[in-house]
Amino acid sequence: MSIFPKTAAAPLLAVAVTAAATSLAAGTLAPGIGTASGVASPVVTVPSAQLVLPDFSALAAKATDSVNITLDGSLLHLAAGFLNSKDPEDAATLEAIKGLQGIYVRSFTFDTDAAYREADIDGVRRQLSAPGWTRLIQTRSRKTHADVDIYMMTVNGKALGLALIASEARQFTIVNIVGAIDLDKLRKLEGQFGVPKLDLSSQKSSGP
Amino acid sequence: MHEELESRLREALRPTTPPPDFAARVMARVVPTQRRRATAAWWLAAGLAAAVLIAVGVQSHLKQQRDIQAGMEARREVMQALRVTNQKFDLAVRTVHEAPGV
Repeated sequence: MSIFPKTAAAPLLAVAVTAAATSLAAGTLAPGIGTASGVASPVVTVPSAQLVLPDFSALAAKATDSVNITLDGSLLHLAAGFLNSKDPEDAATLEAIKGLQGIYVRSFTFDTDAAYREADIDGVRRQLSAPGWTRLIQTRSRKTHADVDIYMMTVNGKALGLALIASEARQFTIVNIVGAIDLDKLRKLEGQFGVPKLDLSSQKSSGP
Repeated sequence: MHEELESRLREALRPTTPPPDFAARVMARVVPTQRRRATAAWWLAAGLAAAVLIAVGVQSHLKQQRDIQAGMEARREVMQALRVTNQKFDLAVRTVHEAPGV
């Protein structure tokens, strides 16, 4: 049973791409927190882009396939030492992880619909309403029952992290990338992993 | 009786002058024993040093193997994490492309 209402009508898509996506792609993001007023603040606290991911062990036990990746800065540094800069795929990966402080992935695939509840992800969504986080892309597909939300944390126009929540009928995925993420470099990986080329910059901003 | 015994003892225990090569012969027997002990001690020390070196080498090799294994695992996880990220990016973009009027 799906967690989404089923309709016999033609697939309807509800898509929302925030203006931030096009701004980011064009490199024209508005100044971040603390700069608009022009008044120097004596103490500047940079928010952390690292999310506190819940313990999904109960879901992992139910899942037919699960991915649990926790790579902190030291592990990324270690991994970089094992990437061959002469190999195109490795070189692109090296570029993509340069400046990152962590990559955290939780992905669970189930053999039945509605095996997880939205409440399982709510804790993560709440963290993404904190200052600094901007929703870049929000897509809702009734055809594939796939919802994808992509958030970016930017401070003073600098990207400090990315969060992605993808909920599908039988799968949900949370990705949290901490550090100076460069979407262009990430996009250079497309095709390397058998993923078709994305065209984020050409996406129109539209309402849901 | 007593006098006779005393006389015999005196005769038996009277001081004698050692032959001229006595000291040399004694030393000739003493020095090799010392050398043997020194050689044995050297071999013991060398054996211990070799054992320590082998242990350190094996330890270092095992650590290197663990580091390589951890590095390869980290590399695999980085690749997988970026693959998952790109797949979900792709899912989002495909949904946008499929939207009517886009």
